[in-house]
Amino acid sequence: MSDPQQIKVVDAFDLDDELRSLLRPGDLVRDAAGRRHRLPRYFYEVASHEAAVDIRLAPHFGLNEFILVDLKEAPRLQAFPRYVPCAVRMLAFFLEQFRVAVNASVHIAVNGGYRSPAHRMSGNASPHMWGTAADIYKVGGSIVKTKELIDRFNDVAEELSDDVKVLPYGHETGTTVDDHIHIDLGYVLVVPREISEDRMEVPQATQPRFAFEERRRRERRLAAPEK
Amino acid sequence: MVAKAQVTDEKLPVTPPKDSVAASEISLYRNTLKIKKEHDLEALGISFYDTETTLQWSFNADQYFHAASTMKLAVLLGVFREIERGELALDAPVHVRNRFTSIVNQEPFMLDLSRDADPDVYGHLGKALSVRELAYWMITRSSNLATNLLVDVVGIPKIQLALDELEIDGVKILRGVEDQAAFDAGLNNEVTANGLLKLLRYIADGRAYSRKASDAMLAIMLEQQYRGGIPAGLPKAARVAHKTGNISTVHHDAGIVFLDGRKPYVLVILTQFEAERGRGTAVAEVSRDLYNTMAGLSYE
Repeated sequence: MSDPQQIKVVDAFDLDDELRSLLRPGDLVRDAAGRRHRLPRYFYEVASHEAAVDIRLAPHFGLNEFILVDLKEAPRLQAFPRYVPCAVRMLAFFLEQFRVAVNASVHIAVNGGYRSPAHRMSGNASPHMWGTAADIYKVGGSIVKTKELIDRFNDVAEELSDDVKVLPYGHETGTTVDDHIHIDLGYVLVVPREISEDRMEVPQATQPRFAFEERRRRERRLAAPEK
Repeated sequence: MVAKAQVTDEKLPVTPPKDSVAASEISLYRNTLKIKKEHDLEALGISFYDTETTLQWSFNADQYFHAASTMKLAVLLGVFREIERGELALDAPVHVRNRFTSIVNQEPFMLDLSRDADPDVYGHLGKALSVRELAYWMITRSSNLATNLLVDVVGIPKIQLALDELEIDGVKILRGVEDQAAFDAGLNNEVTANGLLKLLRYIADGRAYSRKASDAMLAIMLEQQYRGGIPAGLPKAARVAHKTGNISTVHHDAGIVFLDGRKPYVLVILTQFEAERGRGTAVAEVSRDLYNTMAGLSYE
């Protein structure tokens, strides 16, 4: 497994306008039940396809497996450098446990790992937008498309942890699955150690700022007693 | 123009000269009726256009038939419309997934692997293939999975829009492949021989959106791997850019025929028969008859 320090961590607020509008760091989005969740802010920046292959998030999972998308993803986000929420490392950890439990290779489908809020499959808030969900289409040599297989693997996944959620077999898009296993950890936000969350503490004068930050700074200045 | 085709000796009000185009047309007509009878066809539609001589001929060419896989030509046209407009890239990756939505009830359905002519695309389930690869498999191996994936990418309205923009009447595209609920509701893709001929003429003439797009479509169609239709009635040297269409009650072929030393001709042959009878060699026989007629014609 590669050293996390080798992967560049970025605060998505510091990315360019187009990337910020696509990744929407910190935005609140509603899930299917109407609950609101805040989108991730800290991402791994992946420089190239080769780097994505080289970076091992777990012994049997390369970072590249979590960023496979097709034309449903925004074109800018299909190009390198790519961005994936830092919580993806937790997902890889659980998938490694799942792999051990089923004693077979585990294959994530295209569009089955991280999907940005701009991805055409991103309607309501889905853990895929947090990098904490995986759609597994093949286990070992078996394409997962029968109720029997999906039920069996769902049982295995649920045994891993109470934090793991799966979707039952069925034909209703979004709430059930019939051609893959869906495993997710929920709306997990990860703040890497090397990051300070206080943008006031770490001024980044050369980076674009948001109106609310400028307002906060102005308010602080006004509130400060004159010397 | 002098035709060398032989006309049978049946009595006509005015007997055309034996080497005339009229005599060739009469010969074609009689042979067509003979083929239709011999193969016990319920319906036969033929449309023909020769870009070398501008000669055209048709038989029952405005009757609608179940399109079967000839609808994939319209999908191909829709794909290249989007590419020409910059809305789609040939190299764009597409997730290969066997899960589609019926146009009737929005219920999901999956394709039956055993009915698809191209198991190779299934080997990429869960992975991605490019738009170019899907278009290739859709035409050359008549892959239903590739077709439905491209229909999902482009959308039925855009495919029909492509046909409307080029004023191609006689090709109605309502849905993808194996949408049983739509089939049960009587919603089927339909084509006429004249409709498909017009579509193919756009491609043959380099006018299907652009010369580049037309050439790209032609290159794919020339790679056709099923040679039992029009090519079966031609000399081996003939190159045919074509698309077949088969279900239990129809057998079609629509193609552009390239022969050495002359411009291509465009030919569409649609046949319909009882399911129990099965498809025969009618398409190849019509193709052979037309080729023989063309080979017998010379121009002064």
